[in-house]
Amino acid sequence: MVNENLVKDAVKEPYKYGFVTDIETEKIEKGLNEDIIKLISQKKEEPKFLLDFRLKAFKKWKKMKEPDWAALGYKKIDYQDIIYYSAPKQKEKISSLDEVDPKLLETFDKLGIPLTEQKKLTNVAVDAVFDSVSIATTFREELAEHGVIFCSISEAVKNHADLIEKYLGTVVPASDNYFAALNSAVFSDGSFVYIPKGVACPMDLSSYFRINSGDSGQFERTLIIAEESSSVSYLEGCTAPMFDTNTLHAAVVELIALDDASIKYSTVQNWYAGDEQGIGGIFNFVTKRGKCLGKRSKISWSQVETGSAITWKYPSCLLLGEESVGEFYSVALTNNLQQADTGTKMIHIGPKTKSTIVSKGISAGNSKNSYRGLVKMGTKAKGSRNYSQCDSMLIGDQASANTFPYIKSQQPNSEIEHEASTCRISEDQLFYLQSRGIEFEEAVSMMVSGFCRDVFNQLPMEFAAEADKLLALKLEGSVG
Amino acid sequence: MEIIERIKTNKSDDNLTEIQKICLHKLQSSPLPNPKSELWRLSNKSKLSTFLDYSVNKKDSKFDVPYPKNSQSTIRLIIGENCQIKLIEKNYSIQQLSEDELQKYIKEQISFFKQNENWSDLLNLSLSCKNNILGLKINGSKIPPIEIFSHASNNSLNAKTLVIFLEKNCDVELLQVNLGKENSSLSQSTFFCLKENSSVNHGVVSYGESRSNLLNSLNVIQQKNSSYNLGSLHFKFNYARFEISIKQSSGNAKTNIKGMQITKKDEQISTYTKIEFNGPNGFLDQINKSLADDKSHAIFEGSIIVPKIAQRTDASQLSRNLLLSNLAQIDTKPQLEIIADDVKCKHGATISQLNEEELFYMRTRGITLTEASKLQLSSYFQEIISFIPISKDKWDLLDKLLNEN
Repeated sequence: MVNENLVKDAVKEPYKYGFVTDIETEKIEKGLNEDIIKLISQKKEEPKFLLDFRLKAFKKWKKMKEPDWAALGYKKIDYQDIIYYSAPKQKEKISSLDEVDPKLLETFDKLGIPLTEQKKLTNVAVDAVFDSVSIATTFREELAEHGVIFCSISEAVKNHADLIEKYLGTVVPASDNYFAALNSAVFSDGSFVYIPKGVACPMDLSSYFRINSGDSGQFERTLIIAEESSSVSYLEGCTAPMFDTNTLHAAVVELIALDDASIKYSTVQNWYAGDEQGIGGIFNFVTKRGKCLGKRSKISWSQVETGSAITWKYPSCLLLGEESVGEFYSVALTNNLQQADTGTKMIHIGPKTKSTIVSKGISAGNSKNSYRGLVKMGTKAKGSRNYSQCDSMLIGDQASANTFPYIKSQQPNSEIEHEASTCRISEDQLFYLQSRGIEFEEAVSMMVSGFCRDVFNQLPMEFAAEADKLLALKLEGSVG
Repeated sequence: MEIIERIKTNKSDDNLTEIQKICLHKLQSSPLPNPKSELWRLSNKSKLSTFLDYSVNKKDSKFDVPYPKNSQSTIRLIIGENCQIKLIEKNYSIQQLSEDELQKYIKEQISFFKQNENWSDLLNLSLSCKNNILGLKINGSKIPPIEIFSHASNNSLNAKTLVIFLEKNCDVELLQVNLGKENSSLSQSTFFCLKENSSVNHGVVSYGESRSNLLNSLNVIQQKNSSYNLGSLHFKFNYARFEISIKQSSGNAKTNIKGMQITKKDEQISTYTKIEFNGPNGFLDQINKSLADDKSHAIFEGSIIVPKIAQRTDASQLSRNLLLSNLAQIDTKPQLEIIADDVKCKHGATISQLNEEELFYMRTRGITLTEASKLQLSSYFQEIISFIPISKDKWDLLDKLLNEN
């Protein structure tokens, strides 16, 4: 018989990224109104079209209502009690990494993010975002040789305004939903990637988001454009310090894939989840969507969600191009009083489109973990296929696991398959492993890792290792 | 919508029963279901308003379509035709519930109602007069099969209510038939209470004529060691909703559900099921099939709720759908809400069309395409139809489905 307490102890692990960097920051006053938006836009020296975009979004946001359909419970957010812009003070222009405040570099070092170029061996280009602004982007010259543009979105607004004007808001329009509208009005920074025609990006691109101040929200925006026959793999990581207040994070990610292009977007989300009593933690309301515009284009989302007090996130694919492919691989782990309502939307519009969904949810402690997904076959999606699988694992008898798959078909010549199951760590398997001399904690970790293997296999190598470690840390206590 | 107006203005009618008054009062704050809620957002609003457009039928005219021949071995009851029954035999007894018993039970049920979830029941109970409520207490074993009819009359809205108590250790086969007439609406609410160790094979067959509408609600409470098998079939309705709510009040019970809905032309038929396990060791096996042709719309939403107390629950739910036309539409949402950790729960859903390889195989063997499609459909239907009790010989359901257009 498994000792219940042992499992409970095993899933306790302190958050190790909870430190605060003591650095002078520039903040604007709390609250949200047109003047604040104009101030943000002015600080970032933005062209008029962007200010108009923001103001239009803000107008729409004011008329919208916060969504309440998700299986989440949290106290109402006071949107006037948030600082919408916060940036570490530093020299005006940075020409190389040497000029970045060493304290910041130290912070990212502590987080294990290779910002200094001596860590070239890892072959990953990083864009580091600290509170509201992008601190540094590495490997820029190397990427430029291939024509790849990888920079913060503020820089892109200055240097590639045409691309921004053409694509920003085309996948996630400002009026899409409450949080997307809020983000469109106040977004501060984020990453911009442009892969030109026929280029396979020579290295993985990565952005790293860090929230440092407790009272400011983080609203970043990512835009990735893959031209014809190009490909890119993009990684995203996030952490935040421990505060006993809730911090709002509302991001928007837009991906656009043209003919034969492929984008792989991987996330390891490890925002601070609050303490065992559910005090503090990040409210993570994210809109991520990719548009497969071109024929045979492909967008693949993989995510490992372990942090945040509240997660509200549905990375989606709009499959417009003929024979385009959408994929979604997800592991969501919730513990203590965390709540997650996450899943995906696969909207099949073009003919012969394909999508695969594999979702693994693990709920422990008193947490609540819901999968919510939509698969829709439009009238023109002839010969399209979808396969979905969502499995949940329950640890302890206080956690809950929900599955809400919405399936809608208007095309007889298409196939949809959906499967879901719920299980727990089987005592027989545990006993078997223990009888072979494997420690209890390691056995639990092995089984969880096995449960998630379908998803881990899809992650880029660096991330797969990190994700496995992260789950082990969260679940294993001292091991790891 | 005369009815809604009447609810709003609250014209008190002295002839109303106490239950009617309670339900009318409850409906007053929100006379219509919230169209944005999960349970109603897909429901066709204009069709629902046609449902409510007819005036309420107070006196019942004799049904002019002959029912299939009654064999001597079955007991036949028709709700609304002042049916009186008191059968006390050696092995079993079937008696009408006294008014007090009926009122007490319905009142208790109403106290659990939620405005949106039970809107159909509230509407039904606020409309159905004394004559249209049938309450039965069934006891004993070796009971002959029972058939219960509800029917609508032309150009009117008809509300019928059925309450059944199945006493301990009782075992029965029961077929409920809801018949719609041209331009009519039928609201049927059924309350089923299965006491310990009882078991029932329940069939629900509903079919209409052109432009008939149906709101069919089924509430089942299962005590421990009871076994409830439901086979249901809904077809030929301009608009129909079948709402099933099953509660295993202390777990340890078995539930088997096999349901099917068939939509053609511009019909909309939906099935909503909610199965709650309020104790350990519950068992559920559910399959729901839909077939949508022409411009029709079929909807299935099934939720399974397993709270912490319901350890060792074994539940599975499958939604299989055939989409046969470019203009038809299918929505399906099987959902699981689980807190107990020692459970086996799974669900699955598929949407596709007829299997082309199988069709091709049959055609290479000299079977025409029409015949081959019929063969495939009949195997698709047969799984459900064979599960509906006492319908086999008399009702020719398969024939009706395959040959009617």
